[in-house]
Amino acid sequence: MAVSIQRTNYNSIWLRKRASRFGAYVGLGVLVILTVFPIVYMILSSLKTNDEILLGGSFWPQNWHFDNYPEMLTAVGFFSYFRNSLIICGLTALICATIAVFASYALVRFRFPGSGALDLAVITTQLIPGVMFLLPLYNIFLWVNRTLGIQLVNTYQGMILVYVAFFLPISLFILRSFFATIPLDLEEQAMVDGAGRLTAFIRIILPLSIPGVMATMITVFMYCWDELLFSLTLTNNTDTEPVAVGIRLFVGGQNSSRYDLIMAAATMVTVPMLVIFFLLQKYMISGLTSGAVKS
Amino acid sequence: MSIELEKPGTEVRVTLIKGRANGSPSQPLRDKIKRVSLWQQILRHRLAYLLVSPVIFCMLLIHFIPGSLGVYMSFLDLKQSTWLKFLGAPFIGLNNYGTLFGTTHNSLATEIQTAARNTLLYAFITNVGTIGLGLGAALLINREFRGRGIVRSLLLMPWVVPSFVVGLLWGFMFRIDTGVVNSIITDVLHLTDAQHRISWLQNGNVFWAITIPTIWRGYPFTMILLLSGLQTISLEYYEAAQIDGASPWQRFRLITMPLLKPIFAVVTLWGFIGSAYAFNLVATMFGNGAGYPGEWGDLMQTAIQRNTFQGSSRYGLGAAATTLFMLAMLVFVGIWYKVFRSSLIVEK
Repeated sequence: MAVSIQRTNYNSIWLRKRASRFGAYVGLGVLVILTVFPIVYMILSSLKTNDEILLGGSFWPQNWHFDNYPEMLTAVGFFSYFRNSLIICGLTALICATIAVFASYALVRFRFPGSGALDLAVITTQLIPGVMFLLPLYNIFLWVNRTLGIQLVNTYQGMILVYVAFFLPISLFILRSFFATIPLDLEEQAMVDGAGRLTAFIRIILPLSIPGVMATMITVFMYCWDELLFSLTLTNNTDTEPVAVGIRLFVGGQNSSRYDLIMAAATMVTVPMLVIFFLLQKYMISGLTSGAVKS
Repeated sequence: MSIELEKPGTEVRVTLIKGRANGSPSQPLRDKIKRVSLWQQILRHRLAYLLVSPVIFCMLLIHFIPGSLGVYMSFLDLKQSTWLKFLGAPFIGLNNYGTLFGTTHNSLATEIQTAARNTLLYAFITNVGTIGLGLGAALLINREFRGRGIVRSLLLMPWVVPSFVVGLLWGFMFRIDTGVVNSIITDVLHLTDAQHRISWLQNGNVFWAITIPTIWRGYPFTMILLLSGLQTISLEYYEAAQIDGASPWQRFRLITMPLLKPIFAVVTLWGFIGSAYAFNLVATMFGNGAGYPGEWGDLMQTAIQRNTFQGSSRYGLGAAATTLFMLAMLVFVGIWYKVFRSSLIVEK
């Protein structure tokens, strides 16, 4: 008697576990489809003709129309937007990570007069809405050009300066939490051996911090690629405009109902991010999670 | 916010505080000690100052000086005709603020007021959606199963799609007649008939047209943060609770939720700031990136940007609205700090 009761109990637990696992799979399946569908749809739409898109119709392209890509690149000169974005975001990521690796080391290792205030200031920058300093910044740029003769509006160096300042706070968050995990004794050993503080840092700590630097660079690159508000105001021709602006002008003009070209452009802007993501996922996730949690 | 309590080199603080303590030397001597020790501290840390100087330079030049000018602009009659004078424009005190709250017919004030309402709703609903969906996904993916890594990668994909692309893409998908969302709802699932297709990009529906894609892009990041939190919770807690006869729901409510609280704190703060300051998605969704989003689609940043840079160049009014907007965010951060204060201290 007792034995049979126990057996049914096991059976029901087994059944319940089975059912909950099945439910979880179904839930995950639905979630994956809803999540991935828009991206797949974007890529497929970029391979349809515009007539096919306007008619609605099937999910798969009736014939694979790869001509959209050359047409999109030549019709609006989209290639130059792409180049501008690569240069601006690449250099921004490099400069940001370089400045941040030294600064966050100083913030983690030394408690100097004013370091608390600096911490607070870095966080405060995140609370200022972009439209607050957009116009004054434009005027300051014009003023710099008048008095110092350095052209900042509508140049690479101006955009890079703005973006470096923008993404320094997030870089500091990421690298600070990274440095907090490296033990102090390592550099102290080197200092006992006669190396100075900076030498000890460059020889011992910097090589260890490469994963953190990678995470910072990828994160900054991704944020920079996604910036629209400032580039919209501070750039005004194809020599400097990044993709975020280009794609918008591209659909505003005479091409406004060419959904095939819009989707081709959208795909071309997204795919580099997806490639970076799938190749360097480990760094991205560690960078962004530690950066966000720590701050 | 910075949660660290102890850091290497805390002695600096200690000497300064000692100087101020009761029973310390007389006032002039105390000042002397303090000044000398502060100066020495600064000298001793000249390397640190050198290393952080680029950060200070960038923040002053790009954030704080222009930001202060922005606040000052809100007291000026700065518009198209006085634009060239910039800070020399007539000082009009709080008049801009008065105009914003005025009931006199004034298109900008009305637009800012509706945008403020939308932004509040949008920030609230997108965060509830993002955290809810993110938590559900994190719990589902926190099980052991084959292909878990691939599923996690697939779910993270929207997170790397640029937000201006999200606006274009979902605007394209939401088209009334041949948009894929309506095709699925009407032709595949038969939830509505062909005569009553949902007009996503008109009237009140616009609000959902900007909210749904925001959640779609935002939840993966919340999911990954919560997942990293879930993985730090020791299984022993659950085993002990199971022995005590706790139901799955009780285990979730009494173990998982309290231990995830620090992560919820972080997610709420950044999520709220991010969605309150959102711009890209709305800016690219309407009219293929060139249109007015309508009464229910406008957010603070898009409304202010449109009214100061395109068309009516009412810079002073825009600056006043932005200043109020920033103050509101400071109030929010204050409330947030009060609510999550205890869990922030636990975290470190």
